[in-house]
Amino acid sequence: MFYREAGKLVGSFGKDRRMLPLLEDRWLAVLFVAFMYFVVTAIASDYMFTAILIPIMVLGVATLGLNIAVGYTGQLSLGTAGFMCFGAFSAFNLILRIDWMTIPLAFFLSGMIAGGVGIIFGLPSLRIKGFYLIVSTLAAQFFAEWVFNAYPWFLNYTSSGVVSLPMHHYRVFPGQENTPFNAAFWYSSQGRYLVTLTVTILLVLACKNLVRSNTGRNWMAVRDMDIAAKVIGIPVAKTKLMAFFISTFYCGVAGAMYCYCYIGNLDFMIFNLRRSFLVMFMVIVGGLGSILGSFLGAIFVYAWPILITRGSDFIFGGGAIDTAFIENNSKIVVGTIIIVLLIREPGGFAALWSSSKQKLRVWPFAQ
Amino acid sequence: MNSPDNKKSILVLKDISLSFKGVKAITDISFNVYEGEICSVIGPNGAGKSSMLNVINGVYIPQEGTISFDGKEFTKMKPHSAAVMGIGRTFQNIALFSGMSVLDNIMSGRNLMMKANFWEHALNIGRAEKEELEHRQAVEEIIEFLGLQSIRKTPVASLAYGLQKRVELGRALAAKPKMLLLDEPMAGMTMEEKLDMSCFIQEINRNYGTTIVLIEHDMGVVMDISDHVVVLDYGKKIGDGAPDEVMNNQDVIDAYLGVSH
Repeated sequence: MFYREAGKLVGSFGKDRRMLPLLEDRWLAVLFVAFMYFVVTAIASDYMFTAILIPIMVLGVATLGLNIAVGYTGQLSLGTAGFMCFGAFSAFNLILRIDWMTIPLAFFLSGMIAGGVGIIFGLPSLRIKGFYLIVSTLAAQFFAEWVFNAYPWFLNYTSSGVVSLPMHHYRVFPGQENTPFNAAFWYSSQGRYLVTLTVTILLVLACKNLVRSNTGRNWMAVRDMDIAAKVIGIPVAKTKLMAFFISTFYCGVAGAMYCYCYIGNLDFMIFNLRRSFLVMFMVIVGGLGSILGSFLGAIFVYAWPILITRGSDFIFGGGAIDTAFIENNSKIVVGTIIIVLLIREPGGFAALWSSSKQKLRVWPFAQ
Repeated sequence: MNSPDNKKSILVLKDISLSFKGVKAITDISFNVYEGEICSVIGPNGAGKSSMLNVINGVYIPQEGTISFDGKEFTKMKPHSAAVMGIGRTFQNIALFSGMSVLDNIMSGRNLMMKANFWEHALNIGRAEKEELEHRQAVEEIIEFLGLQSIRKTPVASLAYGLQKRVELGRALAAKPKMLLLDEPMAGMTMEEKLDMSCFIQEINRNYGTTIVLIEHDMGVVMDISDHVVVLDYGKKIGDGAPDEVMNNQDVIDAYLGVSH
């Protein structure tokens, strides 16, 4: 479009395997991150933070997690919300029971715990594939809903089944819980936004590093042809379990962020099967095996209903369109888009993006 | 039979029998492959040639018989340990990782030599970056050898058949195998591609000293490049020896070669 690869030569293999080989792309990425950190933090409204930016990033991380299992390793899973549930409850209990626990550390450890659970529920993948594996990952979903209901210890014996997570009780940085800075930081939506943004960026970078390394190649090898992978010495079982671990690590962190950064309470009912499907749709719409696609899918599926509401409010005045209509409309639209994508572009939005980039490269000279 | 004293066997197959639910694919086959040679396995369709390769690198487990590779004896081989010991393999129906680029496919052939764990990979620290660059260097040599420079970043699914076969050879070669099993490397190729491929095979054999076991139907190529030919028919071995010896073997002529008119 405005810049292209032609003539940009690299002199070393190190430069050739950079995440973004083009200088312009790297500048855009830096500008984008700077924009998200400084400009957005300064100007966005509370509504923007809490209802749009934070949930999109949180769901994007969950989608990225599922994409590692489904898109990169080819292991179908419908246990996403269950794994998010494990992450959320781990974070809650870590923070509740360990005095000095900080939010970032709790997120990391809850990812690790969820990852451990993911390995256990990934074990069936060593013997079964495809639809049968979906059925066995469903077990994770139902297990999570059951275990956190059956053992009230996990919810600190809260009788209502819902724990609210007061915004001013947590520390993001080590040190005293009630220092004004710690309390004020987490209490403000900017603070929670910055934490979510930082965690998201770190996880995206880690994922990008993984998929361009031997680990990522092993995942894709197992996905594309597991017999050949075995014959060239890739430890297929280990690779699958590792993919499940990392995939559920991401889902676990997303679950913890979902409760702590987004909705502000803990409730196993929100991590139901419907949410697993929602994340699966985000993966399909966004693009299997694409990091960018994970976030595009999350943005589209999450933001479409909001867009319709805001758009109709803007055009026809507030409340002109029935909320039930909007909800149903978004289901119809997302469903239709999934069908159209499956037929026309199985690679999802990410593939649409790269093919349109490809077309713009030669526009207007060729088709 | 044809075992000159100065040659050491790298692979010894002894009394291998393989059957699938009563259907006998291989019956009591024994033969040796000598270090550094090009050994062709020929025979009509369904003779058990591909099954034989699958037995050698552990994809199929024979009911009877032993395999010894490089001095170690096994009753059953596992694909992973075959790869670790240095047995490389290409498939009759191309078995590339279709979603990955040529470069990544060949890089994945070196996975056994990469020691960094996934934490190092995720953070791109420690051994991760260093290993990646080292192995990239080695892979680039293979890419250059096979003439794949212009397509190294192309997804393999979009390549022509002949090139895909070449990439698959590159992936097997990347592991620096002691022995390479090639299942019909020239099937369905044009004359030119066949010529290229047989040059590659001979160069690999000569330059790296890699022992090669190949299945091929083109008798011209087989007789030209092989040091040693094994003939199978209906799961039994009917000929074993130097190319001209086998060519004049009456059983082989009856079963497979036929008489020239």
